[in-house]
Amino acid sequence: MVKIHQPRTEIKIKPDVKTYSAKTENIIFREMFQQIPYNIAVIDRDYNIVEANSNFKDYFGSWQNKKCYTVYKKINEPCKDCPTKEVFKKGDPVVADAVGIDQYGRKTHYVAHVLPIKIKRDGEVEYAMEMTRTVTETDRWQQEYQILFDRVPCYITVIGEDYRIVRANEAFRENFGDVLGHHCYKVYKRRNTKCRNCPAEKTFKDGKVHQSGQQGIGKKGQKIHYAVSTSALMRGSDSVAHVIEISNDITAMKKLEEKVIDAERLGAVGQTVAGLAHSIKNILMGLEGGKYIVSLGLNKNDKEKINQGWEMLERNFDKTTSLVKDFLSFSKGRLPELKMLNPGSLALEIVDLYKAIAAQSGIELKSEIDKNVKAAPLDPAGIHTCLTNLVSNAIDACIMGKQKGTEVLITVSEIRDKLIFEVKDNGSGIDYEIKKKIFTTFFTTKGGGGTGLGLLTTRKIVQEHGGKILISSKKGKGAKFTMEFPRKRLMALYKECKV
Amino acid sequence: MSSKKILIIDDEPDVAAYLSAVLEANGYKSYATSDIKTAMEQVMNLHPDLICLDIVMPDETGISFYSRLRQNNESKTTPVIIVSGIIDSEKFDFRTYVKDDSIPPPECFMEKPIDVDVYIQKVRELIGKNSSTENGDKN
Repeated sequence: MVKIHQPRTEIKIKPDVKTYSAKTENIIFREMFQQIPYNIAVIDRDYNIVEANSNFKDYFGSWQNKKCYTVYKKINEPCKDCPTKEVFKKGDPVVADAVGIDQYGRKTHYVAHVLPIKIKRDGEVEYAMEMTRTVTETDRWQQEYQILFDRVPCYITVIGEDYRIVRANEAFRENFGDVLGHHCYKVYKRRNTKCRNCPAEKTFKDGKVHQSGQQGIGKKGQKIHYAVSTSALMRGSDSVAHVIEISNDITAMKKLEEKVIDAERLGAVGQTVAGLAHSIKNILMGLEGGKYIVSLGLNKNDKEKINQGWEMLERNFDKTTSLVKDFLSFSKGRLPELKMLNPGSLALEIVDLYKAIAAQSGIELKSEIDKNVKAAPLDPAGIHTCLTNLVSNAIDACIMGKQKGTEVLITVSEIRDKLIFEVKDNGSGIDYEIKKKIFTTFFTTKGGGGTGLGLLTTRKIVQEHGGKILISSKKGKGAKFTMEFPRKRLMALYKECKV
Repeated sequence: MSSKKILIIDDEPDVAAYLSAVLEANGYKSYATSDIKTAMEQVMNLHPDLICLDIVMPDETGISFYSRLRQNNESKTTPVIIVSGIIDSEKFDFRTYVKDDSIPPPECFMEKPIDVDVYIQKVRELIGKNSSTENGDKN
């Protein structure tokens, strides 16, 4: 039993209406006693219920000749922490909450206001009037809320201004461990500092809902992808006291996505063979054509025809050579030959190599090299091939875009222990359909100009370095190819190479 | 009688040059384009007697272009030879690519590299021997 507060006891009704009499007053009070939305019982000092209203009877059942504790709680002796006992003893009203059992045997949570009743002004308290109001509904809401909070298939945390977790639901605790009082960034991502682009930080600033996609680490070290939405819990009307983070676990979806990509890649193996056959047939057709035109020229003694045919022959022999070269470098499975190199100077070599070619088509080839990037173990020939492929693609994209003022930018930088090469152009861009196929087939959009193996080879070399390659592009708006190499993996490979 | 006109649509310039040489040597007038985006316009202007069409091209596949040709009243009946590296002419099933029954299969499929004699024979079958033929026809 908990004492909550001391209620006011004085109720005065002004009997100033003419017709008002003691009899009317009596009727009014009796009506009120019956109709008031409380369960009311009057109890004597021996815990006998001497009077009760109809609400009380409807709720707790018959009361005549019964002790209060039998009716309220269906027990046979007085309650240990009886609030009424206190009222009889001290003569002051008491408010308390308690759990009882209704007439159907259901557990019920109620709040009781117990008032002392004295018949003689200065005498002792002879009766106690207990007015109870059930709070079972509120209680159920609380339970519902608790179940929702814990069982909803989302991670929910409440974060304080110091970015410490003050509450976490069951799903969150299951996957991230018992984390109360820890910094959210430590728990979600095992970081020691706040995350960049933290959505909670934005909500603390503007009180609005923010969303973002994130990747965290669970308590078993597992990767967890989640989409998080942050909402403000306000203190008063203008400052944010806490932020609630509700996250949907999208790890399964991500895995599915990866499986789909794998399946597409397997399908692409078939396409690759078909694509290779297609390239070869086109080259054969060019060779046959050259032969035909040369012999036509010879028959008619037409020197122009002979030249045309001869050029066709040469061109298609060259194509065979480059197809075979690309195919070999693609199919070669080997560890890269790593040497400690300055990544910036590798990029500059490519700029020197392509600057003039780019300028011929009115394209400016630029570079931005971060001087703080230290030497890294890289396969010089491999990275050279990658950059050559990306830069020549970018130049082609600029030519295809047919706009003025096109440029290709190579950058070398380092972010969070990742060495990054980026080749960016503002050429024709890549649309979604092509993006899907770009690494999977002998795919080329360059008609006779490409073998469709460049990007496939590039990706392979990047992967052999333990890195990955990312594309971002929109049709008509240029493209950006990013090669990322985590230093840790490069170093591990380097050690492996040396052994 | 003027020469029969044949339009070649292929993104490989060398393939187009080869087919042109073969056709010209047999007295036909040939036109070539490697840009499928403007090819329909050319069909409308030129009203060719025959079209030679590649399948794998950067902006639109030959199959899709062929379907458009057949849906256009002006080119509905123009004979088409599909010459492509991706088809095996004996096993090629047009209906796996075009489900719409209202579009009939093209008059002929031919696999790259072509056999010149078979190619020319097919052209003749479709649009007849050219009246002005005088060169290169060894028969």
